[in-house]
Amino acid sequence: MLWLCILLPQFALEAAAGGARAAPGTRSALATLALWALQWSSQVSTRAGSDDAQRIAAAHGAALWLEIGASRQLFGDHTALRARLATELTPLGYGFRLGIAPTPQGATILARAGLASVALTRAQLLRQLGPLPLRFLSLPDEQLAALHGAGLRHIGALLALPAAAIARRFGPAASLYLQRLRGATREPQRYVQAPAHFASRCEFSGAISDTTALLFPLQRLLAGLQGYLRSLDRAVQRYSLCLEHHRADATQLTIGLARPGRDAAQFLALARERLAATTLAAPVHGLRVEANELLQPLVLQGDMFSHAAQQAEQLQHSLDRLAARLGHDAVRTLERSADHRPERAWRLRAAQSTAQLTVQLTAQPATQAPDRPCWLLLEPRRIDMPRELLAGPERIESGWWDGADVARDYYLARGEHGAQLWVYNDLRSGAWCLHGLWS
Amino acid sequence: MTGQALYETDEEHVRQFSSLPDTRFGKLADVLPGQPAPRLDRDELRARLERMGRGAHADDQARPVALPTGFAELDAVLPGGGWPVGAITELMPETQGIGELSLLMPALAQLGRAGRYLAWIAPPCLPYPPALAQHGLALERLLLVQAQDARTVLWAIEQALRCPAIGAVLAWPTSLDDRRVRRLQLAAEAGGSCGLLYRPPAAALQPSPAALRLRLRSVAGCLQVEIQKARGGRAHAVVMHPAAAICA
Repeated sequence: MLWLCILLPQFALEAAAGGARAAPGTRSALATLALWALQWSSQVSTRAGSDDAQRIAAAHGAALWLEIGASRQLFGDHTALRARLATELTPLGYGFRLGIAPTPQGATILARAGLASVALTRAQLLRQLGPLPLRFLSLPDEQLAALHGAGLRHIGALLALPAAAIARRFGPAASLYLQRLRGATREPQRYVQAPAHFASRCEFSGAISDTTALLFPLQRLLAGLQGYLRSLDRAVQRYSLCLEHHRADATQLTIGLARPGRDAAQFLALARERLAATTLAAPVHGLRVEANELLQPLVLQGDMFSHAAQQAEQLQHSLDRLAARLGHDAVRTLERSADHRPERAWRLRAAQSTAQLTVQLTAQPATQAPDRPCWLLLEPRRIDMPRELLAGPERIESGWWDGADVARDYYLARGEHGAQLWVYNDLRSGAWCLHGLWS
Repeated sequence: MTGQALYETDEEHVRQFSSLPDTRFGKLADVLPGQPAPRLDRDELRARLERMGRGAHADDQARPVALPTGFAELDAVLPGGGWPVGAITELMPETQGIGELSLLMPALAQLGRAGRYLAWIAPPCLPYPPALAQHGLALERLLLVQAQDARTVLWAIEQALRCPAIGAVLAWPTSLDDRRVRRLQLAAEAGGSCGLLYRPPAAALQPSPAALRLRLRSVAGCLQVEIQKARGGRAHAVVMHPAAAICA
């Protein structure tokens, strides 16, 4: 086993920088971060060691432990993993130090000491711990004082003592801790379990009344969602964003994607557009992100980086952004429909369904249809009889079967400034109407 | 103006340009005193103009700087030989229904065949699918975007321009100033698309940073295109006949 300790020395402060409330906020922020960490390892723990050790560890900042021995092949060696962690953690506003060692306690001490080197074996770990001062140990202050009084200055000197002597002089708890530190005894672990549904919450110490100020804490929650989805190899097509107010019902927003995705940056971009178009009913005191319907991620086959797939991806992101701000009905695509009545010879369709990775090459039937104008007025406009008719008539009589039947003679007419109008004479009422513009 | 007149304008060009002591255009030795200015034929001139248009981006030769309009007379007078790619073109028709869309149709059909998308943002009427299909447009790659207010329209135009999958953006913004046009110009550069803005005829009175500005009017049933401004070229007037089929 190989353990990675992510030590976050300023976690409480940094979590609060996102607006999170100090005491309860820190724990939920760490829980979100633990979900984020699941993408790197299925064995993530937020606690290591006894309650005592845990309490002492808290003084050094928050920490996460990841078992990376199993996933090393997946993410390359530790330098690559280190770099990836840095690119993900830095934008979230967390400063961190890493330690890699065969035991969780060993990794913790290396992280605290800020050593860049990595201990891959127990012998390497002992060598690296040797010269470090005792204060890096997770032992209570009075025991550290006692060790100091016994003339011990470095961890190496302490580890050189026989285990029985340590147990006799400093108590069984200290002995057990040192056994776990050097790897002589396995430490029981409680791993973070990925829940069936994603829910992550962040509570603010103050009220936020500007939607752009919500983006930073939201980014942290969405990073958790991304890690959670990656760890389960799942994706979502929508997630809900709940803005909690003090004395009003929470504002529920559903952020939809055209295709299942799990990219935190994309989630955030959509939320940004949505929030920009949202007016807050009351100041926001808390933020909650939930995702319930987990879907199979879209499998991009060999052509993942091919031009067509890339274009489809870019288009999808643009469509999502437009839909997030303008609404889902604002972006459509047009279709012909087989009807003789001009007003029924077309249809609108949701734009989302068109952006498929496989580009459909539907051969358009070669139509010998009569010429049609480029502009159609949705509502025909009553006009006086045109003075100059250039072409026509074309008679359109249709629709007796559905009650919206028409009987019209269509003409091409000349309007002001040389505009070419598509007008008709209603054969029943005799009225003249403008129905389109030849452009 | 007829096609013949157009050639004469080109000849004028030759004389004017070749007398310039500009090394970028011709050899300096050509314009030494006492020597007659060289006469360039039209194709040579066009090739040189095209090179001049590309001069600033000599490194990205692969990227076309213009999309042929499909009308030879117009291509001949537009810098780069077509609608500027990665730039804003302003079209100012005198009124709606004079062929202001037909003018774009060959280019738009070509984009569709190349698998690129078209975005129509806030059009004044419905772009009628049967007619668009007759012009050869790929309807399944046409996106119709509706937005409520002027600000959202501009935002949507910018988004569409930035998307590399979208080859051309046709838009009918209600309010524009030169600062906003410049912003859209930057978006078009980033996305490498043709930004085609339809503006009212009064807009011709204001200056604009758009790469190309055209005034459109109908003369004897045919569309007349007047080049009010062309970056890297000169203002021209040219008559087009896209509506001829309908005139008959």
